[in-house]
Amino acid sequence: MTTQPQTIVLKPVRFLKTLRRETFGLIALILLVIVIIGPMLTTVMWAFAERWRYPSLVPTQWGLSFWEETLSRADVAAALPLSIGLALTVTLLSSVVCLPAAYAFARMSFPGRNALLLSFLATNAFPRFGLYISIAVIFFRLQMIGTLQGVILIQLVNTLLLMIWIPTSAFQGVDRALEEAALDVGASRLRVFLQVTLPLVLPALAAAVLLTLVSTFYEAQGALIIGLPNVKTMPVLMYQMINSSVVVQYGAVMSFILWMPSLVVLAFAQRFVRGGAISSGFGV
Amino acid sequence: MATAQLSTAHPAPLRTRRDLSALLGYLLISPPVLIMTLLIFFPIIQSVLRTLFVENASTGQAAFSFENYAKFFSNRVLTNNLWFTVTETVWTVVALFVIGFPLSLYLRFSKSRIAAAVQILALFPLFVPGIILAYALIQFLGSHGSLDTMLRNIGFTDYATPYLKWNGIVIALVWEHIPFTVLVLTAGFRQVENSVIESARDVGANGWQIFTRILLPLVQRSALIVFCLNVIGVFGAFTLPYLLGPAAPMMMGVSMQQTFNGYNDVQGAETQAVITFLICAAVGLLYVHTITRPRVERT
Repeated sequence: MTTQPQTIVLKPVRFLKTLRRETFGLIALILLVIVIIGPMLTTVMWAFAERWRYPSLVPTQWGLSFWEETLSRADVAAALPLSIGLALTVTLLSSVVCLPAAYAFARMSFPGRNALLLSFLATNAFPRFGLYISIAVIFFRLQMIGTLQGVILIQLVNTLLLMIWIPTSAFQGVDRALEEAALDVGASRLRVFLQVTLPLVLPALAAAVLLTLVSTFYEAQGALIIGLPNVKTMPVLMYQMINSSVVVQYGAVMSFILWMPSLVVLAFAQRFVRGGAISSGFGV
Repeated sequence: MATAQLSTAHPAPLRTRRDLSALLGYLLISPPVLIMTLLIFFPIIQSVLRTLFVENASTGQAAFSFENYAKFFSNRVLTNNLWFTVTETVWTVVALFVIGFPLSLYLRFSKSRIAAAVQILALFPLFVPGIILAYALIQFLGSHGSLDTMLRNIGFTDYATPYLKWNGIVIALVWEHIPFTVLVLTAGFRQVENSVIESARDVGANGWQIFTRILLPLVQRSALIVFCLNVIGVFGAFTLPYLLGPAAPMMMGVSMQQTFNGYNDVQGAETQAVITFLICAAVGLLYVHTITRPRVERT
């Protein structure tokens, strides 16, 4: 387009042009950095602060002593394994229940298939906390308030939509010509499924399972209303720490520990779950 | 990645194989469908019925009555909570559109590095759980929090914290719902092919005409979904209003939780739940209508 010497002259001009076109983007970026990163950075700094006197921008004294203090609390020591165990149990149950169903939704034809698939989306139409109260009332009558089974069930309900929709769309995305070619050269149906279909959908399935695991680990509202007073997960403990707010650092350290899995998933899931797959779970 | 398609039935060659496959299909989908029916639809229907049939204390017979609802609407505290929830929802949803619309329009058309960074930041809250967000916002927005400190350092000293006020809830809920809003609106704008816009420009359409005649009609479906799910999501919120909002009035989610766990008033909590269902029902129906309507085919 342009010859060598001209580019040198044009560069600042082009830069100014981009700058003008990107004014909106630049303002949005600065605001987003303050508003989105600001609160998270504050939390991280609090987790590593011994002392933070107003109006200092950063902690006045850094240190790790509150980590020991938080982690040696009896309630935290009990809640962490409980939360991990719960998240694993719910995710396993959800996989067993939903993944075969997702295959059926994607690959088999039966009357009412579309309506049933859409009915999972339709559950979005109810205000979440109202729904929890409705479920809680039934559990109350069945004397399941404060039981582990109750918490498992309410968290399982929460996972259905994601575990049906992302895997269904993954199974639908597999090119059937590949499978038919494998069948033509004499592979058995099972072998085709294991060696052709499964490897193709595995990343999406793994992402769905991982997202479910993490979101269940963080699930707070259902666990609060069904689990109290006996089942106290990490997020339920967070409610208490924020409300009583004796030591700011406890909450910060808890947030930091709770947030780790999320960061891992962020790194992993963004490779496999593109925006389209997530937004499809809302009916876009 | 392909999004879930709704109408790709594959005809099987043999009739018997087809019946068998249908049977197997039902078998495979029955567990999640059963769970959904028993733990979502059944509780909701039961709640609606139970609040409408009140047991007579002396005879033990249940009779149709609006008594539970009369009790709700004659309670000043509860009606204040309901009204508060409605206004919070309106403010939050309006703010989400005001912020989300230009942001997604920008993300649709800009391919710069700034746009990539903006997108990452806008989607970032997707990976921040509500309970952590609540804590982080308290430390950020509270008086003597980080924002207060930053403003003080640039010479602005009369910072009024939104923490424990109505606008604290709005800020938190906007923060939480921004990724979903931007994601869905951007997906809507992406359905408009570049070639369509270029050819419109070739025949002399200006930016405004392209926006109103081409972009808006095509983004309508996405905008409706965003509207409905944001309204329902904000109306049914609990964690953020509970931790960041004022003690009175409360949003309905908080009010229900207090009634259920705090006062052990199961019937009262259930009545409040049904009232939120009814208020959201119109929006819910609009949502179901939107997602079941066949999408605009790309040509």
